[in-house]
Amino acid sequence: MSQPPKLANDFWRSYRCSVVTLIVITEGVMLGATGAFLYYASFFQSHLLAAITILLIQLIVSVLSFLLLYRSISRPFNDLMAAVIHVSGEPTTTTPPNPNTPRYAHNGFRDVLQTVYQLASNDQTTPLKAGSSTTTSPQEFITSALDETSTGFVIMSKGRRIVYANKVAPVDIDQDGASHLSLIFNGKDTLDAWLAECEKSAVHAEHTWTRIANKLPEEENRRFFDVMASYSKGTVAEVVITLADRTSTYINSEQDLDFIAFAAHELRGPITVIRGYLDVLQSELDGSLADDQVELFHRLTVSANRLSGYINNILNTSRYDRRHLKMHPIETTAAAVYDTIRDDMLMRASAQNRLLSVAIPNDLPAIAADPASMSEVFGNLIDNAIKYSNEGSAINVTAAVKGDFVEVSVEDHGIGMPGNVVSNLFQKFYRSHRSRETVAGTGIGLYISKAIVESHGGSIGVRSEEGRGSTFTVSIPTYASVADKLKSSDNSNEGLIDQGNGWIKNHSMYRG
Amino acid sequence: MAIKTILIIEDDRFIGEMYVRSLKKAGYDVDWMIDGNDGLIAARNKAYDLILLDVMLPERRGSDILDALRGGAEDLIPHSKVLVLTNFEQDDESRIAMEKHANGYLIKAEITPSKLLAVIQQLDAE
Repeated sequence: MSQPPKLANDFWRSYRCSVVTLIVITEGVMLGATGAFLYYASFFQSHLLAAITILLIQLIVSVLSFLLLYRSISRPFNDLMAAVIHVSGEPTTTTPPNPNTPRYAHNGFRDVLQTVYQLASNDQTTPLKAGSSTTTSPQEFITSALDETSTGFVIMSKGRRIVYANKVAPVDIDQDGASHLSLIFNGKDTLDAWLAECEKSAVHAEHTWTRIANKLPEEENRRFFDVMASYSKGTVAEVVITLADRTSTYINSEQDLDFIAFAAHELRGPITVIRGYLDVLQSELDGSLADDQVELFHRLTVSANRLSGYINNILNTSRYDRRHLKMHPIETTAAAVYDTIRDDMLMRASAQNRLLSVAIPNDLPAIAADPASMSEVFGNLIDNAIKYSNEGSAINVTAAVKGDFVEVSVEDHGIGMPGNVVSNLFQKFYRSHRSRETVAGTGIGLYISKAIVESHGGSIGVRSEEGRGSTFTVSIPTYASVADKLKSSDNSNEGLIDQGNGWIKNHSMYRG
Repeated sequence: MAIKTILIIEDDRFIGEMYVRSLKKAGYDVDWMIDGNDGLIAARNKAYDLILLDVMLPERRGSDILDALRGGAEDLIPHSKVLVLTNFEQDDESRIAMEKHANGYLIKAEITPSKLLAVIQQLDAE
């Protein structure tokens, strides 16, 4: 049998009733006690009229005082109840008490009433209908508060199912009604990859990603977030993701890059012509130039090639961010890739007075690489080694096979980096405080190098010691290890991108 | 068969002249056409050993020229090798279509005359 819900109104009615009954009983007891006392004191026999008068006076005084007391004690309580009944939305005939009546203002009860009304008005999101007895739960209160913030919150239960996302969280709902986070992570360092790692081997873990966009460039309402995720195995809210909206901070540099990419596009034509004619002139003038004139030609060529390299970095970054960067890996060797830039690199090193020694064995296994893109990676690493080392110092390029990968290392003996720099190194636009002051650069060379290498299914890492130099290592999958995947995906890199389990674990090395 | 005669179909005057000059210096017999129609006619009139074909051309695109020459039942230029010159931004579809009929694929911004000579020598050795 279902009971009708208990209402505050009902409570007040019955409570008032029992209080009045109590007063009437007390009244009777007091009167009875006085009467009994007078009787035993033989007052009735001697002064009957006086005794009756005493009893009458007592009755009148006590009834009057009880009435006065009841009224003054119950009044604020009565109003308080009326206010509570009113804000709870119960059906009632009483008018809500007005906190601004002079008496309340005088004795301070106004504040009490105002507190009640204020509490009620804070929770307008869940207006209670007459007849329902629901009150605002703390959960609803928090939910509406979270919807008001500009920070996204997403909670996932076991199995990475989104159980809560507030309004600003970038969540898409597919046709099956399932929610998905719409975030575009760079390369292999994705939320899913991290969660997979957590599920395997962590109880508590935290991770932060910076500059994560929810949409591709040129899409509407593109926002940038710093994403913080925490993982606690087995709890109801296994994964809690906080997304700080940093669009206003990041959007400028992104828009700048868009414009620069647009401009770089136009620069490609002329720079191709300049490099071509330098090449023609150099071969035609071969033998007829003085040594210092040859050196001038070298400098022209080196500068034109560097410019071309930077333009490629910008265009590739722009393509990569739009997910248009395509690799076409073929069967080649690390030595063959380096051969395409060897002359340029040697010229560059000698023009800047560095000793570049390259020892890439010819008998290493074939790699699966897009030669043009991979040569840009090598070029970027060697260019950095030149930039961040001193005149006359040596730069060593070596290669070795490690499992299913060929590792190419570029070692310099330059200024090196402290650990906190190393962990940010592969981020877009990242420039360490010191390099900002001393070395020119855009902060996208390593970002795009990492993107290119990871698009090959490889990885890039660095080991560095401040003041001693840095060693960057690129791991590229051997052709034999990925040939099947390449063939099945029509020689594009798509089959390679998700292949991340072949990493060589090396804990002394930071994997970017 | 050693490569001796080369047809260049390229509309950019600077780039066309650059290739013509360096290839002639290297001893090749070079013809240069600027628009796509002339290029197609030239390719059909003479059996070149090598055709350097730009993609973006006035009148007729490089991909259309290649299709006209090799896309039909009969290969109209059985004696010629074809190197396609292109910009990086080629869409995949036309790249694959052209790769079927071409012997090689060169990205303009990456190629310099001396690299082109090296590629031709490599083609010759095949």
